[in-house]
Parts: sequence; structure tokens; C-alpha cells
Amino acid sequence: MNVRPLKRRRRARVDDLPGGGAVAGERSARPAPAGVVPPDTVPLGDLSTILDEDTATDLPWLVIVWNDPINLMSYVTFVLQKLFGYSKEKATTLMLDVHHKGRAVVSSGSRERAELDVYRLHEHGLWATMEQSG
Amino acid sequence: MSSPIRRRRDGRYVIRLDANARTVLADLARQLPEAIGSRDPMVRRLFPPAYPGVELAGAEQEYRELVDTALVNHHTQALGVLVATARADTLSEAEFHSWLDAIGSLRLVLGTRLDVHEDMEPLDPEDPMAAEYGLFLFLGELQYLMVEVLADELPVDGRPEGPL
Repeated sequence: MNVRPLKRRRRARVDDLPGGGAVAGERSARPAPAGVVPPDTVPLGDLSTILDEDTATDLPWLVIVWNDPINLMSYVTFVLQKLFGYSKEKATTLMLDVHHKGRAVVSSGSRERAELDVYRLHEHGLWATMEQSG
Repeated sequence: MSSPIRRRRDGRYVIRLDANARTVLADLARQLPEAIGSRDPMVRRLFPPAYPGVELAGAEQEYRELVDTALVNHHTQALGVLVATARADTLSEAEFHSWLDAIGSLRLVLGTRLDVHEDMEPLDPEDPMAAEYGLFLFLGELQYLMVEVLADELPVDGRPEGPL
């Protein structure tokens, strides 16, 4: 792939954390060791250096390919083999799941990994989406 | 009858197509970038959502901002290769892959416009969309034969190292 559109990390925001901005309050309630700047004076933006969005939950993201009436079955199998290195047998099984059940999970992982896979599937014209498992 | 598409021993690809079919391909490929650029609703199929639910609308917007330019460039570049090499006797591997991409894009857009569905019956010759549907079927046959050649080159057991 000659573009790496996903080579970025979204800066975590306070709203991303469970309980939202309350986290800062909880932290400030803890007594700070002597000589240490109390956490509630730390600008909230600095949280992004110690937290990332995946720490909110470690449930993997699932990449899903949906049935569509246009793409050829052999093409979908080929794309799954090419992009994910799957055997012909595994790619065919996934393609048949897409065809008969309407959708199939074709890969899973971190949010960034899943987004990259979705992008590569979109480049190849497949109808792919992602969702968090659980 | 042998397939009109094959990979030669020197690694170049041969597609046997008559001059008329090549003209049609070049014409279609020349028109599509304009539709993509103008965000004609018919090209929306080239830009599926990554996050379909309303609760992740913000993530979807970020995804669109991140990838849409790259997706447009990717498809436009492939269509440009098809226009430039529509009459070439042989294709390099990269050109062959661009043809596959461009033909795939054309099928998605034509198929969306024709509202095709699985197990669709052939259209009545009198149907105003019959010619376009014939074009759609032609592109599908071409894609099928190209995939057949490329699939033969992939390792049946997959790549042990997994994803690229």
C-alpha cells in the first residue's frame, strides 16, 4: 500500500475515559506525595501522553465484510487471500459466510489495526465496517 | 477454449480484447473520475462507511476525513492507468492490478445505478437499461477472468507470516 492514512494516533480526550471528566477529580482526591505537583494542576491535555483510547477497554475491534450484490464471489475470496494471507480454504469459508449469512468477521485487533484493514478492504471495493466486540 | 487472459512467462499479462471493447473501457474509465470528483450519489458505493452506527458518527467523520482523499486518489489513479493502457498489447503486473481495480470501481458504480441484485434475470432487450446492464455483465466477465489468473498465483495455503 503506498499510502498510510492511518499512521496517526488520535489524541485521547477526557470524554474518552470511563466517567468522563470525573477522572481528573478522582485523581485530585488522592493525596499527592510531598514535593509532587498535585495531579489536578496538570493540564487535561497531557493525559494524552499517558493514556490512549484503547485503555478505556481492551475488547478487540472486529472487521466485518457484508454481503453485497455486486462483487463476485471469486473476487471476494481473492481479496481476503491477498490482504490477509489466508489460505484459499479459509478465504472461501469466510466468503461463503458473507454470502449465506450476510456478514463475516474477517479480522480483529486494536482499533488502529481494524481501521487499517477496513481501509484496505474499501480500497478493494468490499463493503467492510468495524465494531467493538462484546 | 482457453481464457483470453493469461500471464506470460516474462511476467507480463495479455488480455485478448477487440478494439471496440477497448474503446468502451477507456471511455468508461475516462468518465468516472469526474463523477467521483463531483460526489455524484452514484459513486457513494466506492466510499462505504467504516462505522455505520449513529452512535459512532464522530468516529465515522474522522475516518472519512482521514481516508477519502487517499481513496479518491487510489481509484482515480487506477482509472487513469486503464485509460492510458486500454490499447496496450501487454500489461505489467502493476498495470494489470490497476485494470482490476478500475474495472471493479466501474462495476460498483454501474451496479449501483442499475440497482442489481443477486440472481438477477437478464433484462429485456427493450429495457432502456439493457445496454448498460450488458456492459455491467461484460465487466463482470472480465473481472472474473482476471481474478482467475491472479488467484492461480496466490499460495493455496496462504502466507505463513499472515497479513502483509
